[in-house]
Amino acid sequence: MTPDPAPRLAHSGTAAATDDATVTSSAVTGGEPGSVATNRAATAAQARGSRQPHAILPLRLRSALVLALVSLVGLAAYTWPFFLTPGAALDNSHGSDAPWFFVALLPLLVAVVVAEISAGGIDAKAVALLGMLAAVGAALRALGPGAAGLEPSFIVIVLGGRVFGRGFGFVLGSLTIFAGALVTGGVGPWMPFQMFAAGWVGLFAGMLPRCHGRVELAMLAGYGAVAGLVYGGLLNLWFWPFGAYSPEVSYIPHAGLGVNLHHYAVFWATTSLGWDIPRGLLTGLAVLVAGRPVMAALRRAARRANFG
Amino acid sequence: MMRLSSDSTRQVRSLRPAHSITLARTLHPGAWWVWAIGLAAGASRLTNPIGCLLLLAVAGFVVSARRSRAPWAYAFGGFLKLALLIIVIRIVLQALLSTESQGVHTIVVLPQIPLPSGAAGLKLGGVVTWEAVITAFDQGLQLATIICCIGAANALASAQRLLRCLPGALYEVGVAGVVAMTFAPQLVADAVRVRSALRLRGYDGRSVAAVRRSAMPVLEGALARSVDLAAAMDSRGYGRTTVDRRATRMATAGLVIGGVVGICAGTYGLLGSAGSGWMGLPTLGLGCALAVVGLVVGGRRTGRSRYRPDPWALPEWLVAGSGVAAAVILFLLAHAHPGAAVPPYPLQMPEVPPLLLVGALVGVLPAFLAPPPPDRVVDKGRPR
Repeated sequence: MTPDPAPRLAHSGTAAATDDATVTSSAVTGGEPGSVATNRAATAAQARGSRQPHAILPLRLRSALVLALVSLVGLAAYTWPFFLTPGAALDNSHGSDAPWFFVALLPLLVAVVVAEISAGGIDAKAVALLGMLAAVGAALRALGPGAAGLEPSFIVIVLGGRVFGRGFGFVLGSLTIFAGALVTGGVGPWMPFQMFAAGWVGLFAGMLPRCHGRVELAMLAGYGAVAGLVYGGLLNLWFWPFGAYSPEVSYIPHAGLGVNLHHYAVFWATTSLGWDIPRGLLTGLAVLVAGRPVMAALRRAARRANFG
Repeated sequence: MMRLSSDSTRQVRSLRPAHSITLARTLHPGAWWVWAIGLAAGASRLTNPIGCLLLLAVAGFVVSARRSRAPWAYAFGGFLKLALLIIVIRIVLQALLSTESQGVHTIVVLPQIPLPSGAAGLKLGGVVTWEAVITAFDQGLQLATIICCIGAANALASAQRLLRCLPGALYEVGVAGVVAMTFAPQLVADAVRVRSALRLRGYDGRSVAAVRRSAMPVLEGALARSVDLAAAMDSRGYGRTTVDRRATRMATAGLVIGGVVGICAGTYGLLGSAGSGWMGLPTLGLGCALAVVGLVVGGRRTGRSRYRPDPWALPEWLVAGSGVAAAVILFLLAHAHPGAAVPPYPLQMPEVPPLLLVGALVGVLPAFLAPPPPDRVVDKGRPR
C-alpha cells in the first residue's frame, strides 16, 4: 500500500506558499529526512561539478557515464550505414530492417537516460520551470513555419541549456520535442531520433566554455547556426537507408565508408541542405537578436526561484 | 478506508462494466498503439501496392469509426498529406536522378543536363521508364502506409492519458510534460493577446523588433507562471513521498549501468562482423531487460498511487490482439508467398492471396470491437 499523502499535505499546507521565500523554506523543512538528504546531496553535487551558476539537474558521475554510453548507441543509430560490416547480423537482404531496430531501441534509451538524469531529486521548481520552457518550445514548434525549415524552439533549447546547465539542457531538448509532438499529434518513428538530436543540442549548449557579454552572445549564435545545420544532416540519416531513390544517392550495403559518405553528401546537398542552411542561419540570427533579453529573463527567474 | 474500498473493487472486478464492448468509454491508449504498431510492422513486409492500399483503408476506416472530437483526433489528415508528399518525392527523385533505366517501357525522354565529374555518375533528366516510376510508387506507398498507421494511433489515443502510463522513474519528467502540454495552447493565446495589445498602441506586428516586443512579455509571463506553479505544487505536498534508500539506489545504479553497457555491446555485435555472434542479440536482450528492471526499481522512489487508472479490460485485449494477429498473418504471408508480398515485376498486376485479405479483415476489427468514444455517443443520443 502506498503511503497516503494527506497528513503531509496538511503539514506543508500550513506554509501558505505564495512567495519564493516560503517555498524555499518549506522545501527544506517540510520534507522527510530522506528528501532533506537528497537535497543536501544535490546541493553538494552542484557546488562540486557544475560550471553554470544556476545549474539545475547537474550531471553526476553516474548519470554522465550513462549519458555518454547511451549517446554512443544514439550516434550509432544515425551513422550505422557508414560502419555496417558486411555479414553482420543487421546486414540482411532487404536493408530496411536496421532503421526499425533503432526506432524500437531509442525510446528505451531516452527513457533510461532521462530517468537517470532526473533521479537526483528534481523538486517542484525544477519540474515547473522545465514544463514551462518545454511549453514555450512546443508552442513555437506548433506555430513555427515548419516548411521553411525554421526550428524556432532551438532558441529556447540552446539558451535554456546555456543558463541551466548540461543535464537540464538534454532533458529540455528531448521534452520539448516530445511535448510538441503530442500537442500537434505528430508522434512517429522520427520522434526518438529528433528527441536525441535536440537533447544533444541542449547538452552541448550547456557544455560551452564560460564567458560573458558579447563574446558569449557571439559564441551562442555561432553554436546555434552549427547546431541547426548539423541537426538537419543527422536527421536525414534515419530514413536515408530506406530509399532506393537512385543508385547514386542512396545507401548501398557493402559499398564501404567512402562511397556511402559520398552518396549521402550528394543526397544531402540535393534534398534538405536548402532547408538546413536557412535553419542554421535563422537560429543563429535569432539567438543574436533575442539572446540577451531571454537569458536575462531566465537568470532572473532562476534567482527568484532561488536555484543553486 | 482505502483498504476497504480496494478490497471491494477486487470483489466486483469480474462484473466490471469495463469489459463491455458497447459501453462508451475511452480505450486505453496503449491498446491503440499496440494495434497501430502491429499494422505498421505488417506493412513493413509488403511492397504489394494493393496490400498497402488495403492497410491504408483499414487505418482510415478505424480512425473514422472510433475517433473522439478532441482536436488531436483530426491528426490523421495531416499524416495522409505527409504520405502523399513521401510518394511524390520518391517518384520525382527516381525519375530525375536515376541512371539505371530499370526497364524498357519508356514514358518520356527528358533533356539531360550534364553535371561536373565531381557528381560521379549522377545525372539529371534523361530516360524515364514506367518500371522505375512504378517501383518508386510501390516503395513510397509502403513507407506512407507505415506512417499512416502511426498517424492512426495519434488520432485515436489520447496523449494526456498516454503520459499517465509513463514508468515511475519518469514521474517527475512526466509531470513536466503534462505542464508543457497544458500550458502550450495557453501560451499561443497569450501571444495573440499581447499582439493585439501592441496593435492597439499603433505598432504593426511585422518587423523583427515587433516580434521581439511581443515575444518577451509571453516568455516573462511563462516564467512567472512557472514560479507560481512551483509554489502551488510545493504547498500541496508535491514530491514529499520520496523513499530514498541506499540499497535501492545502488541496485538501480548497477542495473541501469549494466543494462546500458549490455545495449552498447549488443549494438556493436549486431553492426560488427558475423564472428562475434554471442555479442549480438543475446547481449542486447539482456541489456534491455536490465535497463527495464532498472527503470522499474528506480520508479519505486516515488511512492505514489494512481488516481483512477485507465482499465485494461476485454476491449483493450481485443484491439491489441487484432493488431498483433494482423502482423503475424502478414509475416506468414511474406514467408509463404514472397512473390505476393514483394511483387518481382512492377508492371504486372500483383496477385492478392486470401491470406492478405484475412490480415486486413483482422486489422479492421477494432472499428467494431472497441467501445465508442463517450463524446460522440452523447451527441448522437441528444434529441434534435
